Amino acid sequence: MTDDRTTTRTAGDAPVATAAGRDPAGREPPADRAGRRRRGVTERQRPLWLLIPGGTLMTLVIGIPLLLAFYISLIDLDQYTLRRWLEAPFIGLDNFAEAFESGLLHSVWISVSFSVIATVATVPLGVAAAVVTQNAYRGRGWVRAVFLIPYVLPSFVVASVWRTMLQPDGIVNATLTRAGVDGGLWLSGPRSYWTLILVEIWAAWPFIYLMALAGLQSVDSEVHEASAIDGADWWPKLRRVILPYVRGPVLLACLLATLNHINNFTLPYVLFGAPAPDDVNVMPMLVYVTSFQSLRFGLSAAMAVVSLVLIAIPLFVYLRAVRLDVHEEGGRK
Amino acid sequence: MGSRTLRAVVALAGATALTVALGACGGDDDGGGSGGGKTLNVLIGANTQYPQEQQDWQKSVSDKFKAQTGADVKWETFASANDELTKIQTSVVSGTGPDVYAIGTTLTPTAYSTRAFVTLGDEEWQKLGGKDKFVPSSLGISGPDAENQIGVPWVGRPFVMVYNTEMLKAAGIAKPATTWDELTQHAKQLTKGDQYGLAVAYKDNFDPWKFIWGMSVQAGNPIVDGKTARIADPAVSKAYQTYFGWLTKDKVVDPAAVGWTNSQAVAAFAKGKTGYFALTSALAAKSLDAGAVKGKWAFTLLPTVPPGATTRPANGVEAASILSGDNLLVADYSKNQDLAFQFVKLITDQEAQLDIYAKLGQLPANAAAAQTLLSDPRLGPVVEAQKKSVATPFTGAWADIQLALTNAVVQSIPDLSSGSISDAQIDSRLAAAQKTAQSSLDRAK
Repeated sequence: MTDDRTTTRTAGDAPVATAAGRDPAGREPPADRAGRRRRGVTERQRPLWLLIPGGTLMTLVIGIPLLLAFYISLIDLDQYTLRRWLEAPFIGLDNFAEAFESGLLHSVWISVSFSVIATVATVPLGVAAAVVTQNAYRGRGWVRAVFLIPYVLPSFVVASVWRTMLQPDGIVNATLTRAGVDGGLWLSGPRSYWTLILVEIWAAWPFIYLMALAGLQSVDSEVHEASAIDGADWWPKLRRVILPYVRGPVLLACLLATLNHINNFTLPYVLFGAPAPDDVNVMPMLVYVTSFQSLRFGLSAAMAVVSLVLIAIPLFVYLRAVRLDVHEEGGRK
Repeated sequence: MGSRTLRAVVALAGATALTVALGACGGDDDGGGSGGGKTLNVLIGANTQYPQEQQDWQKSVSDKFKAQTGADVKWETFASANDELTKIQTSVVSGTGPDVYAIGTTLTPTAYSTRAFVTLGDEEWQKLGGKDKFVPSSLGISGPDAENQIGVPWVGRPFVMVYNTEMLKAAGIAKPATTWDELTQHAKQLTKGDQYGLAVAYKDNFDPWKFIWGMSVQAGNPIVDGKTARIADPAVSKAYQTYFGWLTKDKVVDPAAVGWTNSQAVAAFAKGKTGYFALTSALAAKSLDAGAVKGKWAFTLLPTVPPGATTRPANGVEAASILSGDNLLVADYSKNQDLAFQFVKLITDQEAQLDIYAKLGQLPANAAAAQTLLSDPRLGPVVEAQKKSVATPFTGAWADIQLALTNAVVQSIPDLSSGSISDAQIDSRLAAAQKTAQSSLDRAK
């Protein structure tokens, strides 16, 4: 049912025809009706036709390489077999077994924990920033623009600047030393894990901010008026009235942000180099080094497949959430 | 069987996708230009230090080649070793791509293991003007043995040491160190106040293994012995102890060096407050002349006597540097192989070799051209280092082995920073590296 509604709306440039196509009364001349039905069918299928270019491209760019990755994860493909890769020995799940033996679980743990911590930390920052820039005041536009700076900077630039600042004799440690604190190492050893989280938070919080701001702006002015009339204080108003509006977009943002964190390669690569310290050997780094430095394409494909499965879990939740949204919208309007 | 069918289907899908994708990326790889002339595709590394000069050099070579053969040269450049590797991989799979590759020496064994390049027999060497044309040491990493060479030496970038002439003079040091122990001793003498004896790039992703390999091979352990890795070995252990000891025990290196890459170490040395910088190449000359050390620096050979010794043991090798530079490889899928060899001959002849040195500072692999540079006093040690360069083991596993050697340093940096690393800690990291290296050697074909 929902699909029909969506279809009707998508093909909205000919609403009469669509409606007529469904009309059971059939008051028109038969020839006309036949013509309409034919047109109705093509129009109903129009979205599918429109999907063909995108679909073909997705099959070529995503679908086939994905299948290929699954296949490569099952063969012993390395520099020695690359040239005749079709004849590379089929070794079943051996690559997966080796992947788990060679530190994959450690990398999975680092990737997941780092991503979750980064997401959890960015939510209050993002929501607070959205609340702060919700009401109009002098200079608000300026503040909003500044908030977006970390988001628009390329990851490579962010990582390079932080790497420079966090050198053992960099500006951060120089400042700390002046304050009487020994800065120590930021880019090696156990603390590199927290450096990665810190820089990721710095670069990623505006995404939550944007989504939260979008949520806030969907709050009708009547709601504000009503809570003012009821004499609600700012905190109960924020907690009970405003935040529920923001919940949906922010949850969605959390899912997308977590996926982005897990997939982030540029940041750890530029910050720490390859080989990376064990404490920040996230999955994309492990796959990269295995593939492009050790040249074990089969093994790295197996790691990538495991990584994909891992990402598919929040992705699945995300897709379900999106479908629910459509239902709600469809029901509401 | 079932898995076979599945394999065939997936493989077919993959091959189709790759063909389409590579066709799209590869562009016009098919040679055959207009007017009866052909086009030769050449892949070389981009020179970020002298981009304009590189373009001028390319143009002059193209013009000469056109005049000589009537064919055009289409240049393609790569920015990093990884780009290069990716290009090799896609070309190897698709059987199309550049006709001639300039490949880094340490990457040559990897390229060899793909079996996608022409093996140079007598006939090919003849076309190039004979093997005698080249500096003998530069042929050391052209192939696993004299009968199976694929790499034609093109340019050399041997590693040397640079020292601050004024600081050494002030400390009463008459001539630079020739053994590692002497270097440590000098560095101690030079370290006082805000001065340090030695600059070392501990955080560099490529430097550390070169020290370890050098000290180890000088002590008689080439790290790879046939199909056996020898990383968990006293000579290697001693090398790491010395390398780390400069910072932790001898305290002759700026503590900030735990975060330095090679270029940061060059910059630190260029400030004029450091006695020696232990691993650099002739290409650093420009940066050095731009710093406070202008006119006060000189190149010298890296020590060739292993740590803890005053003379090299009988089985030790006088390795002043890894054999570093670029080889030229001709793709075996190339339809223009004759043309490719003519091109390789052209750019390895004396005239072109001196030209590339003049424009880009790359040392000639051509023996006659190298000889003429010996008269330059500043460059003498570099040419000497090239002659005394020793090839790293020729195995497809080498990329993994150097990664394992570097990783042992990367994981030790927190200990270095805290000021101490025990021999037991070093040995446990070497055991891990040994395991990785051995498993990689076991896979080598």
